[in-house]
Amino acid sequence: MKGASLEKARAAKGHALAIFERVAPVVGVGITQTNDGYALKINLRSRPANVAFPDTVDGVPIHIEVVGEIRKFADTSRDAGP
Amino acid sequence: MELSSARELKKLVTKSVVQPFVASAVTRRVLSFAAQPIEELEGSHRTFALGIAQKSERDYRLAVRVQRHELRDSSEVARIHEMARGEVDVRYVGRIVKQVPWYQSRERPLKIGLSIAHYLVTAGTLGAFVRRKSAESVLVLSNNHVLANENKAKKGDAVVQPGPFDKGKKGKDSVARLEEFVPLKSTGSNVVDAAVARLTDKLDYDPRDLQSLGRLAGVGEEITSIGGAVAKIGRTTGLRLGRVTAFEVDNLVVTYGIGNLRFDNQIEIEGADTLSFSEGGDSGSLIVDDAQRAVALLFAGGDHGGSNGRGLTYATPIDRVLTILKVNMVS
Repeated sequence: MKGASLEKARAAKGHALAIFERVAPVVGVGITQTNDGYALKINLRSRPANVAFPDTVDGVPIHIEVVGEIRKFADTSRDAGP
Repeated sequence: MELSSARELKKLVTKSVVQPFVASAVTRRVLSFAAQPIEELEGSHRTFALGIAQKSERDYRLAVRVQRHELRDSSEVARIHEMARGEVDVRYVGRIVKQVPWYQSRERPLKIGLSIAHYLVTAGTLGAFVRRKSAESVLVLSNNHVLANENKAKKGDAVVQPGPFDKGKKGKDSVARLEEFVPLKSTGSNVVDAAVARLTDKLDYDPRDLQSLGRLAGVGEEITSIGGAVAKIGRTTGLRLGRVTAFEVDNLVVTYGIGNLRFDNQIEIEGADTLSFSEGGDSGSLIVDDAQRAVALLFAGGDHGGSNGRGLTYATPIDRVLTILKVNMVS
């Protein structure tokens, strides 16, 4: 799928967020790149079952990644400690 | 002796010399102990560590590592010599301590990458040294959640190096006082998680040392492409390399103590090779490009995602951080 221009990808972010957050726990919408242009990266906390996601939004390719919970990184609770 | 004989001898010495000695010594209180709460005496005691040493390709020895000075010429060592018929390698090694990396230790002069935090926060990372425009005093830059305890701290609160999780104490390890933080908002969009603390007068610091990466070379250009190589030095993982996987990330939802907060316009990074780019405790790290120019301030991450499956890291473009706090990098 052909990548979009950077301006087109920026313009599609809001629409993509509106579409995805209706059906999935979105934790980030960013811009990434394909071989020949730009795409949107939709980060999900988890992937809901039985939901079909669009491949493009406003002509901009969509890349979906499940990234889990994002947390502040001063949390050393999983550190073995001194 | 042969390897199998060395192994047998090790078992025999453990059973007939070391174990009886430890039991007897604790009972008779012949080992010296530092003054400490009695419950801390529970557990293992330093006496003899046994292993196998190699004299030549097929000639092995019993290795005895003596961990107390008073046991160097003890009757137990003499007995081990006798049992091994001289085929023994005895060395005094004293107390063995866990190695703590420099970035989790108390370090002066202060440097980028060190453990630091508000005295009530666990630990984060000293990101950079900055200065108010037209002001002399030097400030340390990190996150709000590192230096200002998620909006709960007050101006003037102590900042300690190392952070409390790394045994830093308010008073003897205080290095700065909270100067200003950008409040974190529970509603609406956040742009930065950042704060600055005023360095204690006359405290030595090196604003450009990036260890093996070289020297900080100013501020880099805004990131508007993916794949660029980046690096950071952080309190938990030290030096790690990574690459940008997304930019201008909006609606980034991050879990804080005060709730789930939303951030816009952030950068996403994955670790190079088989490692994560960062982990808990690396918050506040300065991220630099492959020319050692500052490009972002690290503040969040997760355990999933990335092409190596080791999680993703999130950071704020450094120019935004500097603009909002009205500071410049010290060079």
